[in-house]
Amino acid sequence: MTKKIGRSLLGLLLIIVMIFMTACSTPNNNDVPDGEVTNGEANDGEDNDGQVEEKKVIKLFHRFPDEPFNSFIEETVAQYEADHPDIDIVISSAQNQPYKEKIKVVVGSNECPDVFFSWSGEFSERFLREGLIMNLTDAFNNDSEWKNSLLEAQVNEYRKGDVLYGIPFRLDAKMMFYNIDIFNENNLEVPDTWDEFIEVCEALKAKDITPIAYGNKNQWPSSHYIGSINQMLVNNEIRLKDLDPATGEFTDPNYVKALEYYQQLIPYFNEAVNGIPHDMARNNFAQGKAGMFFAELVEIPYLADENPDMNYGMFGFPLIEGEGDPTLLTGSPEGFVISSKTKYPEESIEFLKYFTGPEVGKKEVQQVGWFNAGVGIVDGLNDQKLLEAYEVIKNAKTMAGWFDASLYSTIANEYLTAVSDLTNGDITPEDAMKKIQKAAKEAQETYQSGANE
Amino acid sequence: MMKRKKFVPYYYIIPGLLMVLFFVYIPVISNFVYSFFRLSSYSAGKVFVGFDNYIKLFTSDIFPIMIKNNTMYAVISLIVQVGFGTIIALLLESKLTGRLRNVYRNIYFLPALISLTAVGLLFTFVYSPQVGLLNSLIRSVGLENLTQSWLGDSKIAIYCIIAMSQWQFTGYITLLMVVAIQNIPKDYLEAAAIDGAGPIKRAIHIMIPLVKEQLLVCSIITIIGAFKLFTEVYSTTSGGPGNSSQVLGVFLYQNAFLHDKMGLAAATGVLIFVVTVTISIIQIIVTKSGKV
Amino acid sequence: MLSNAVHIKKTRKQGILKLLLNLFFIVLVISIFLPIIWLLINSLKSNNELFNNSLALPEKLLFSNYVEAWGKGLFAYFKNSLIVSSISLILIITISALLAYGITRFNVKGKNIIFIIVLGGMALSEQVALVPLYKMLQTLNLYNTYFAVILPYIAFRIPFTVFLMRAYFLSIPKELEEAAYIDGYNSFQIFYKIIVPISKPIFASCAIVNLNFVWNEFLFANVFLEDKKIMTIPIGLMTFQGDMRANYTVLLAGIVIASIPMILIFLLMQKQFIRGLTAGSVKG
Repeated sequence: MTKKIGRSLLGLLLIIVMIFMTACSTPNNNDVPDGEVTNGEANDGEDNDGQVEEKKVIKLFHRFPDEPFNSFIEETVAQYEADHPDIDIVISSAQNQPYKEKIKVVVGSNECPDVFFSWSGEFSERFLREGLIMNLTDAFNNDSEWKNSLLEAQVNEYRKGDVLYGIPFRLDAKMMFYNIDIFNENNLEVPDTWDEFIEVCEALKAKDITPIAYGNKNQWPSSHYIGSINQMLVNNEIRLKDLDPATGEFTDPNYVKALEYYQQLIPYFNEAVNGIPHDMARNNFAQGKAGMFFAELVEIPYLADENPDMNYGMFGFPLIEGEGDPTLLTGSPEGFVISSKTKYPEESIEFLKYFTGPEVGKKEVQQVGWFNAGVGIVDGLNDQKLLEAYEVIKNAKTMAGWFDASLYSTIANEYLTAVSDLTNGDITPEDAMKKIQKAAKEAQETYQSGANE
Repeated sequence: MMKRKKFVPYYYIIPGLLMVLFFVYIPVISNFVYSFFRLSSYSAGKVFVGFDNYIKLFTSDIFPIMIKNNTMYAVISLIVQVGFGTIIALLLESKLTGRLRNVYRNIYFLPALISLTAVGLLFTFVYSPQVGLLNSLIRSVGLENLTQSWLGDSKIAIYCIIAMSQWQFTGYITLLMVVAIQNIPKDYLEAAAIDGAGPIKRAIHIMIPLVKEQLLVCSIITIIGAFKLFTEVYSTTSGGPGNSSQVLGVFLYQNAFLHDKMGLAAATGVLIFVVTVTISIIQIIVTKSGKV
Repeated sequence: MLSNAVHIKKTRKQGILKLLLNLFFIVLVISIFLPIIWLLINSLKSNNELFNNSLALPEKLLFSNYVEAWGKGLFAYFKNSLIVSSISLILIITISALLAYGITRFNVKGKNIIFIIVLGGMALSEQVALVPLYKMLQTLNLYNTYFAVILPYIAFRIPFTVFLMRAYFLSIPKELEEAAYIDGYNSFQIFYKIIVPISKPIFASCAIVNLNFVWNEFLFANVFLEDKKIMTIPIGLMTFQGDMRANYTVLLAGIVIASIPMILIFLLMQKQFIRGLTAGSVKG
């Protein structure tokens, strides 16, 4: 008995030693991403002998692991596999924050998925700069059927200059949601301007109702407020220049002003903003514990889930007189890009076309309440809330993008940190902007020296 | 000692040695090298930047906050886990405690068995301003205005995390000390009792000196743990609100995998290395010199 | 008479002290149990009940939260943790035992240096190796596989395990082996016919202490495992916290399920557990 155990232990040991030997013989200073080296998993199909039909493996990585979205994606993919017997799509997923971390990690490696989720703007553009994601411009422009099946304004959000690098999967924008019953009971009207907005808040507060439900524990929600205010106050050219890490400075005094406007709202938020996560704040709004909630359109299905009887409406972020462009809609489509290292570029494009096209779009809105950029996807839809939301997005000429995703990551971090401190009253708007300017300057240096290599 | 074929002993030693060299030493050494470069996880470039990463680390606004937080964690843990934990151990081992002593001891040890992430998630709820245990208790006794936003308050967030760790690990130190006390030869204590030494005197003059070594070990692991701190903070505040609860471990992680500043992360790693290894060396010196 | 009075006084005083002492211990017990009981209560509620009053008892016991947590991936995370832990443990124990045997039973050149190198590993923390290890694992194509965490776990636990085993092996009398040697056993035979059976208690202790580490490890797992399908419990739990929507009571149920195995093992194998912990005094 012991003899047997001893032998199997020795066997295991041999395996370990062998792992070492192979490990040691692999050059481990080879940091250059090597597109030629095929990765193990994608090879699975080919390890079999020629008798078995070879499947082309496409790896899909997304950030919607929650239900019902995950199942929707799985079903959609299964359908595609059934229609294309030669294709095997391997799905993996991660939550928002881990996704951001993980995709950055794998995108430069041989493990990079073929088709993966990526935010438009700076998040994807730096992958584009490094040549890690595929340029889809020609494929898209030469395929008029594809081109005509999608909403142009939304697809344009995935362009850098003329270069198209991704296709939207779900459209999204931020709107102020309000509880119609609470508004009616207190004879309040939907505000258009900032002053009217403050009046509404004041009136609710006087009645001991929390005006705005807000949870900033995870820090990103604040960037949607700041982004929206910045768009109104800061000249659009300056704003876009600052979003580019090569030229960003954030020295315009209107940025300070924007933080001051944000500060005005603090008395109208619920208590302990930094201690409450976003979804808990939404739950409070859904339970009628607050008058308003700044939310994304993709949250409509959640609200329906949390309180099916809720009577709510939505309005655009209140107008502030300033040098910016008030027609910009805060938000951005979220979509998928293709790795430049994929072994199956054509198959990947073909899959992406289907995955983000009108056919899937129709099912998407019916089943999970999300829109993609497909034309005509809401035909036959009855849900008034969703139709209202779709109108908002369809009519938007330009999206301003999610502020945190549009920024270079260190600047985004500094911004979020500063606004978190501002919310707690630990920092002044001037000091906050000084920190952000410093981060922008550092980013510029890093970026420039990186470009000079 | 047996002497046999020359190479036989190496069969036994080489797998383990290689493993440690390859997956512990090489990475740690590479980390030193990395700390002098700028490198990112997804691009190929590696640029030598000299001491740039160290300068960035030491001049960063967050640096003093992190040092303060890690140090506070160490100091409070020393006082509560080692200090109070030892007192609990002495009391548990006093004759008055009776048969329940093992039950108490095991209950106190229980939290140490739960994974750090589970405890982190649990305490995120305990501290939740709205649904949390703490605020709910405070409200239920009518002290509404004493409620806090706990992890959402920049001034107390790090202390909330520290308190959570005390809850989790005090019983662990207690257990170690209990075993050390049980290992004291009975004759010593009996002799002291005959001499007329009271229980408190006995504890201070007889027991403590005899468990000095275990106390030192406990102190060392507590301090080292404080500077390796990561999961507790990552799973509760990720360093927020603002940077108020930032610590070295989380800063390292975020720079490496979020902001793509692997060089800066490596430099932070070197700092953690220097601190923890220094403490270990102090332990070895103190133990060897026989002062303990 | 007099001494009797003193005695009564003394016992009374002792009685009060005893009461106070037990009161103190019970207060501590409550402070340990309070969050845990609160966790158990709320893990059986609906989300809305939790929101309305987290101190109230559940109206209806929703064991479905546990079912949901288990089905929502916890089962897979459990399986992954089992795979990772068992492979890691077997290899940690085997490799460490061989190494400890090698340095205690042979006069090898550089024995002391090897011993110092291996034990020195105890002083090196995981954080310091994180970035380079991640790069290495990528280059070796091990990133995002079970071995991405198993190999570092083994390497980081060998030093401590060797430290424990070495002390134990040194205490085994050499006469046994000498006799076996004369009987014509070679050193491998001696190892698994004599050393291994005698060392079962220390193996058990090492296994449990290392299990406590591997089962709960978060830093490496969080960085080196990307795919939900191979995540271990500690990181899997974190994914329960959705970004836009978390089902809180299900998450609480998940915390309970994830914590049960180690607590059970502790209760069942207390002796080995405590021996392992105290022999090394290294915090999991």
